[in-house]
Amino acid sequence: MEMLLMGAVLSIFGLAVTCLAFGAATRQEPSEEKEALRVAASNAHFFSDAPAARILPLAARPRVPIEALLLQIENHVRLEQAAAECFMESPNPALLHSRTISTLVN
Amino acid sequence: MKNADLLQGLAPGEIERVLALGQRTLLTTGAELFHLGDDASCIYLVARGRIRLTLPMQVRGKQENVLVEERSSGQTVGWSALIAPYQFTLTATAALETEVLALDREALHAYFAAHPASGYTVSMNLACVIGQRLQVFQAMWLREIQRMVELRCA
Repeated sequence: MEMLLMGAVLSIFGLAVTCLAFGAATRQEPSEEKEALRVAASNAHFFSDAPAARILPLAARPRVPIEALLLQIENHVRLEQAAAECFMESPNPALLHSRTISTLVN
Repeated sequence: MKNADLLQGLAPGEIERVLALGQRTLLTTGAELFHLGDDASCIYLVARGRIRLTLPMQVRGKQENVLVEERSSGQTVGWSALIAPYQFTLTATAALETEVLALDREALHAYFAAHPASGYTVSMNLACVIGQRLQVFQAMWLREIQRMVELRCA
């Protein structure tokens, strides 16, 4: 009987831990981050003095670890530099505006 | 080092004399060569390794040094040492163990005053280094503007 009760208590405890983990994984974004995303999506102004989040929506994405974000920025800079150097080797509008595979902007 | 971009076009003897003005510095991985805003008294030639040039950027409310460009063997960093107001406009750190040759501005000025032809050649090389960076960043800047325009018109 004691073993049965112990098993039941442990099962309930395990269920509670699972529920907490699930809740944490699926929790809604904090309102500040949601606001940054909303503003970025709806209100990007050319040459505005608005916060960087408006022109870098990825930076406002809540679940990208900062280390990953910094790597994305670094990768983006390298790709952009390579694109700019290609343009300099053979200056033409197509090369200047070639598409990037950077995950920062795609 | 004899193929350094700053020394292109100099006779071998002149290259030796210019290199002799410098002081070799070994940087361990992550070591800072100079910091944004520091007084710039030396220009550096990368002998081996790689230098990261970074600028501070706010990322999620925290200041992070973000890569702007990298310089490797034979390339020049810290040209602010030769251009007024002689202040570094980037932070330079070693991406891996790196050796640089530090050339002091005063020593270079004195040498070039005595050897104007060498001074002219190095000045033209310096103009190329600066001009190339300007053109690369001009193109990068325009690509970003283009993306902003596309976002706005989307």
